[in-house]
Amino acid sequence: MSTTTVGTHVTPSNVNRTRDRITAMFLGNEALRGYTLLSPTLVVMAIGILVPFAILLTMSFWTQVAFEFDTTPSLNNYAKALEHPVYETLLWRSIMISGACSIATVLLSYPMAYYVAFHVKRYKMLWIILMTLPFWTSYLLRVFAWKVILGFNGVINSGLKSVGIIEQPMEFLLYSPTAVVITLAHAWAAFAILPIYVSLEKIDRSLLEAATDLGDGPVARFFRITLPLSLPGIIAATLIIFIPTVGDYVTPALLGGPDGIMMANMIQAMFGKVNDWPMGAALSVGMMVTVAVFAITFMFVSRKATEQIG
Amino acid sequence: MDVVDHLNAVRTGAMSRRTFTKGLAAAGVSLVMTPMAPKLASAAAADQATYFTWGGYDVPEMFASYISKHGEAPNFTTFGGSEEALTKMRGGFVVDVAHPCNQAIPRWVATGLFQTVDTSKLSNWGDVMPNLYNLEGNMADGKPYMVPMDWGQTSVTYRTDLFDLAGQEESWGMLWDERYKGRMGVLASAADTWWCGAIYAGVDFKQLSTDENFKKVADLMRKQRPLIRQYTDDTTTLEQALASGELVAAMTWNSSAVTLQKQGVPVKFAKPKEGALTWVCGAMIHKDAPKLDRAHDIIDAMISVETGKWLIGDNGYGHSNKKSFDQFDEAKLVELGLSKNPLDILNAGHFQIPQTQEFETKMNKEFEQIKAGF
Repeated sequence: MSTTTVGTHVTPSNVNRTRDRITAMFLGNEALRGYTLLSPTLVVMAIGILVPFAILLTMSFWTQVAFEFDTTPSLNNYAKALEHPVYETLLWRSIMISGACSIATVLLSYPMAYYVAFHVKRYKMLWIILMTLPFWTSYLLRVFAWKVILGFNGVINSGLKSVGIIEQPMEFLLYSPTAVVITLAHAWAAFAILPIYVSLEKIDRSLLEAATDLGDGPVARFFRITLPLSLPGIIAATLIIFIPTVGDYVTPALLGGPDGIMMANMIQAMFGKVNDWPMGAALSVGMMVTVAVFAITFMFVSRKATEQIG
Repeated sequence: MDVVDHLNAVRTGAMSRRTFTKGLAAAGVSLVMTPMAPKLASAAAADQATYFTWGGYDVPEMFASYISKHGEAPNFTTFGGSEEALTKMRGGFVVDVAHPCNQAIPRWVATGLFQTVDTSKLSNWGDVMPNLYNLEGNMADGKPYMVPMDWGQTSVTYRTDLFDLAGQEESWGMLWDERYKGRMGVLASAADTWWCGAIYAGVDFKQLSTDENFKKVADLMRKQRPLIRQYTDDTTTLEQALASGELVAAMTWNSSAVTLQKQGVPVKFAKPKEGALTWVCGAMIHKDAPKLDRAHDIIDAMISVETGKWLIGDNGYGHSNKKSFDQFDEAKLVELGLSKNPLDILNAGHFQIPQTQEFETKMNKEFEQIKAGF
């Protein structure tokens, strides 16, 4: 980018020429144009994400002393986080629960998206909207609905009892990691259906015809054409679900029971009743790094896999 | 243009990308604005003072005199435990009146977030029993920081039909009974559960913070953890689980047992042989309370006889106004486990005493780890 030189003798024509040059540079430089267009978002991102993150990061090196912070930088919080097995266990549990939830959601959503993409001919938009219907109610209400379904005297238990299949209510349904996975999988379904639907919808139908012409049956055709071409949607859906659910707090708090507590619940306790904000900050940073590592690895592996297929 | 029109237009290709994007933008804006709608709708309540309290105390029954004076109930906002409440207020949340318990007073006062209550503005102050406000760290120049309202016990509520005492006396040991593994619930906040564990361990509250006793209680808590179905701050959850038989025994306050008995559930509020945990709670005013006069009106309503009658009769809690007890005969009070002289009850159990902030943090951190299985 060259700097615009303005003559010492400023005349109206000089000013105009400068303005023209700036305009030309603006129009000629795509990156600059892009950043200008992005600037409102960038400002929001900076204020809403970067600044709080900087605060969190700084705080994680402090120490809590009663109500005050000792601001001498120290790595104590991170040392404690690595040392005590509870944090590692909770982090692993968060990753396992959220991983199970991502897989379950994608598996359950794929057939729905597939049906709409290939078999629904009219009112596709209406179908999509109907599938997102559960999102129109509050998330808390949906959690409580699951509590009613999975509970001790809930729909499943009392139903099975009245049919005579079980004698005692199945207690593992509620207040367990299973309950958390079920609820999250239902709650995040729409986030999987939409990207998968889009990637299925984009598949060129003539490829499918070609495969059939060349002798593939429906199953072979699905695994050779449809599935690989819809991988971008599956990958997007998995990440969209994994990243937010790994930090979910309210679902395990209400449905998890003692064995279903996740990392976010511990972080919340640190900022709440335990009153150790720097420790909470260190745990948050640690969790962010772990999730980032997982997400990047997943993206890398899946890109390689897609290239292989391609 | 309604939704169906949009859909048709998109389907037939009649709608341009730009128009569709506009529609999306409108939908986005309305989505973002939706959470604000209830706020706008309740704008009228903005004139009322805010009362920050335990879940279950956020009911208009407690504020009859306030409502008749100001037309509607105060704004309620609730917390699950008083530590959580304090953290929230230290984070800048300003309320008019908050509702802590006696063991929290010195620490709450030390934050500098509260002011003493002007008792001359409280018409019912003369009837408040002095035993309940002459507490450690509560009085400054003859004025209280916390105006006491309710007092009571933390004990075990159990199903008389499902829990077999096997000839034993009622005890805190009921919550450590291996026979009922997975069918017991306790409160999730250490402010109750840790202290009850200390009673069971035989620890004197004056020695609660020594390392030896800390370990003793922590070990008991660890022993209890595999037996527990649920740790919760929500007493309604415990009550429902007791009613359905999912739980046979749970740690609760007085009101849970009274509520369940009224519904005909066979439960009893135990009198553990080791003694129950006892406490006094009340109202404190925030130093920046935006509605100072109304804050005093809230407190005056809380210590009124009307409120006392509701607290005692409908919830089984004790009240701080001595005249409230005249509404009930002795037999009823004995049935509820109450007395006209609160000290009879408070001293018969183990009365909570204030601890240092360091101890609170240490205890809460340990308890969170125990709950998580360590």
